[in-house]
Amino acid sequence: MSPLPTDSPEKGLIRRNAVYLTTIFAGAFAFEIAYDTGSNKIWDAMNRGRQWKDIKQRYMVAAEEDDE
Amino acid sequence: MSLSAASTSLLRAGARQLPTSRVAVASCQQQRGIAEATKPTFSSPFASASSSTSKIPDFSKYASKKSPRSNQVFSYFMAGSLGLASAVGAKATVQDFLVNMSASADVLAQAKVEIGLATIPEGKNVIIKWRGKPVFIRHRTAGEIQEAEDIAWEGLRDPQPDADRVQKPEWLVMLGVCTHLGCVPIGEAGDYGGWFCPCHGSHYDISGRIRKGPAPLNLEVPQYNFPTEDTLVIG
Repeated sequence: MSPLPTDSPEKGLIRRNAVYLTTIFAGAFAFEIAYDTGSNKIWDAMNRGRQWKDIKQRYMVAAEEDDE
Repeated sequence: MSLSAASTSLLRAGARQLPTSRVAVASCQQQRGIAEATKPTFSSPFASASSSTSKIPDFSKYASKKSPRSNQVFSYFMAGSLGLASAVGAKATVQDFLVNMSASADVLAQAKVEIGLATIPEGKNVIIKWRGKPVFIRHRTAGEIQEAEDIAWEGLRDPQPDADRVQKPEWLVMLGVCTHLGCVPIGEAGDYGGWFCPCHGSHYDISGRIRKGPAPLNLEVPQYNFPTEDTLVIG
């Protein structure tokens, strides 16, 4: 690989292999969090009112009243 | 042709005398060099191979219009993005296999037992079942705590101070399985005021430590905690 010019904006990321790899893994970490959060939000939005965590409140309140 | 003339003279000279042949070879080489300099071009004997295949085509139409630097940056960016996607995919694959091995929610729900401690009077034992095994819970009196702490534990078979075996000194929680061969010891029995195993005669003291008999280790202490003042959760 011929050396990149020092005035390139990407020189900080891809000039050194160690920095390049670190960027990739850090990016993978951030991407995974973002992807998981995003897909969970989409799933919850599509199934609103149908999941246990949405209807839990009704049954838990009823159970507590039974105890009392 | 001068080349054949040189070779015939070489043959004649070689038959007579060796030094003359060296001169003839030198003159021959000189003549060859001159002959090649005067014929620099190559004409193919095949008519079809005139121009189309022997010339390098013009690829400038396909060459990138951008600077080589930006192409380099682009290719490194693509390689890095592929690496990122592979890293995420590999991690997710490995994680799926590992999560598959961990306990499921119903197993985890059965793995804990909650006990109300208010019903256990001081100086009494309670035996409950936890994960198929008996668990002894002893509400120790102040005298028993003192007795358990005052023993010179360094000289015991399985040396362990009482403070390592209890979280709150008044509550002793341990598995009711003899460390010898797995019988269930009898409470408030034995020579040391603790537990006594009827199978082979192991005596445990009021902290559940082995004092006499064949058992090699103290009674095992499970994981437990006190979520509130008078509840105990084992597991």
